[in-house]
Amino acid sequence: MNTDVEVVIKETVRRFILSSIAIAKLDDDDDLFESGIVNSLFAVQLMTYIEKTFAIEVGMDDLDIENFKSLNATTAFVLKKNGRRNG
Amino acid sequence: MGDLLTVWPAEVSASTSRSASMRHVLTDPQKARHEDFKAFVALNVEPFARQWDREQRIPDPVISLMAKSGYLGGGLPPHFGGQGWDIVTFGLLNEALGRGSSALTGVLTVQAMVSMVLLKWGTKEQKEKWLPPLARGEMIGAFALTEPGAGSDIQSLATGLTPEGDHFVLNGSKQWISCAQIAAVFLVFGKLGRSPVACLVPRDSPGLRVEPIDDLMGFRAAGLAQLHFQDVEVPSANLIGKPGFALSHVAPVGLHYGRISTACSALGLLRGCFEESLAHAAMRRIGDKTVGDMGMIRSLIARMGTDLEAGSLLCHSACRAEDDHLPEAFEKTLMAKYFTSRAAVKAASAAVQIRGAAGCHGSSPVSRYYRDAKIMEIIEGTTQVHEDILGKIFVDQAGGLGR
Repeated sequence: MNTDVEVVIKETVRRFILSSIAIAKLDDDDDLFESGIVNSLFAVQLMTYIEKTFAIEVGMDDLDIENFKSLNATTAFVLKKNGRRNG
Repeated sequence: MGDLLTVWPAEVSASTSRSASMRHVLTDPQKARHEDFKAFVALNVEPFARQWDREQRIPDPVISLMAKSGYLGGGLPPHFGGQGWDIVTFGLLNEALGRGSSALTGVLTVQAMVSMVLLKWGTKEQKEKWLPPLARGEMIGAFALTEPGAGSDIQSLATGLTPEGDHFVLNGSKQWISCAQIAAVFLVFGKLGRSPVACLVPRDSPGLRVEPIDDLMGFRAAGLAQLHFQDVEVPSANLIGKPGFALSHVAPVGLHYGRISTACSALGLLRGCFEESLAHAAMRRIGDKTVGDMGMIRSLIARMGTDLEAGSLLCHSACRAEDDHLPEAFEKTLMAKYFTSRAAVKAASAAVQIRGAAGCHGSSPVSRYYRDAKIMEIIEGTTQVHEDILGKIFVDQAGGLGR
């Protein structure tokens, strides 16, 4: 079940990606890496955007493709990091 | 000549600028540090840069002086032994040093590339082990990415690591590695199977051979070398980041800081061309006129001065974006490096032209600027690579905004 927070995170990241990459639409489970949507420059830009927007820090332990491969994955990652920080 | 609006550097020089009307964009500590940096360069760098260029090396005491001044760890947090300076201040340091010696600034560039990668992607243990000696300048780091067969096409890395027990074995070669002649540790990029990896390799590792590269056109004192790895043992603890992320997340952080450094260094070189040209134009007489009275010389100086202003704004914008941790810092830095490196090449050519025959001799710094400037267009991504990336960014953004 989507919570309000999840929706806000997901739509915020979706807007950033769609304003940066020339794709018509981005579904929640579209694979950002396998589809070639994300190049190395955009990978670090996206990471920086997530860090800045959601006040989290992506570190070595977070370098896992499962954390960034899709909108759903990124949203879950942000929620997990925030939960860890707040908990 | 009208007022020169120079945002960064704060002023061209007391003798060449009538206005510093946009200095307010720098904080007082930033202005004060920039003055300190310029004084350091005037005293310790400019008088000796020609000699270093001729001898193709920077003497150890100069590196020690940089370290003692805190310059080699300027951007690192104080708890690791750094100065904790913001990126604008780091840029100002590079600008000031770039006026004096591009080769010496190269030390700052690679030190920042290695240090900032470790700060971002190192484990707690790796940071505690490596960052303090890097911050204090007791150790110089070099960024070993480029290979004989992998320059702009960095995905083609052939350097390989293979697992063996509790460590890895490294084989391959690296080419055009700045400051490799003086570095104590290398951040080496290679592949583990098909996964890109990054690892730290100390200089004294058995099986590592450092082969100096002499007789470069520019950056002659930057200590470039080839690295040859033959069955070099790399402890697992020296892997930086996780396998698979070295080219997508680790290298881009280093290259980003390398571009900030190079953009600002090229800006300093551009300022050098401008100041040298103004001084010559004011002093050199042809009949009853000065060189500066000639319209065609004024045209050259006008282009230089305008590029200096534009480059200052781009560099400041990029550094501020990085200080604010904004994603657009990456494209702003690409733009700054793209602009200032090309502007430096044009300015150096014009500065030699204004000086005439004297500008072609080593006794004038503009001859060195001319050779060094061209290197700026190649390191940390060529001009053409920058155009390719920036062009794609702009097209993508236009597509995104159009929906």
